[in-house]
Amino acid sequence: MTDEKELDPATEFRQLYDQQYLSVYRSIRGVVLDAAAAEDLTQETFVRAYRARHRYTPTAPPGAWLRRIGINLAISYLRRQKLARVLPARLYMAPDRRDYDRAEARDVVTKAMTALSPKLRAAIVLHYYDGLTREEIASVLGVPAGTVASRIAKAVAIMRKSIGSDQDLGPERSTSEGALRGR
Amino acid sequence: MKVPYVEDKPTQEGFRTPSEADLGRMIRTTVESWKPRRGPDWSDVLIRLANSGPPPWLLYTAASAALVVILLAAFLIGSALQIGALGPQPVNATLH
Repeated sequence: MTDEKELDPATEFRQLYDQQYLSVYRSIRGVVLDAAAAEDLTQETFVRAYRARHRYTPTAPPGAWLRRIGINLAISYLRRQKLARVLPARLYMAPDRRDYDRAEARDVVTKAMTALSPKLRAAIVLHYYDGLTREEIASVLGVPAGTVASRIAKAVAIMRKSIGSDQDLGPERSTSEGALRGR
Repeated sequence: MKVPYVEDKPTQEGFRTPSEADLGRMIRTTVESWKPRRGPDWSDVLIRLANSGPPPWLLYTAASAALVVILLAAFLIGSALQIGALGPQPVNATLH
């Protein structure tokens, strides 16, 4: 993210869209763990960023600014999904393929990520995929750097335990059991 | 027959628990394998922008301004016509 040319959102938004689309999509998908929802939220992120492009202040790179919008949108989306689940059946319209509980647990890492809360997933993706430092993640998520450090440590511990126990149990159990059982 | 003692207490970490560095690599590889089905679609962004209403800040500002105008007009009209609570109030003349 840091070696790319920094574009000005106010004047080069279209180029910024092409440059950042994939990484913003992946960061959002890391939080929602749903391909279709991630695509929709990525587009919505750029719509919101476009509207706010003249208010962008270059205190952080445009990529971090976009991630902040995207991750906040993704966390709000999951909160709405959670709220929808507790609403009475008459009010609740089940989303077609976008339900977080049917997240694509195709591989062991994705499966382990479903055991994390959205905020822990955001910290993990920003740290290991985007390669951001704790301070940069803190500015993206709007929390202190110490909180980021503890979120990363907690997420790593949960994921290591999850992957370790999953592999120790052997392939029979890991394929027969749902990735999200017991949540 | 002597049976060797085997502790049945499970160990803290499983046999194949990845190290933190391995986990980092695994996360990176997995995330990098995620590809959007449609890919970047700028025309969709433009359509969404066209279909969306005014931005929330503009809506709230306009609504707040309209409310201030309504309240001010009600006060001025009420005081000019001396109606409602702004009209002359009956004074109790009976003094004890």
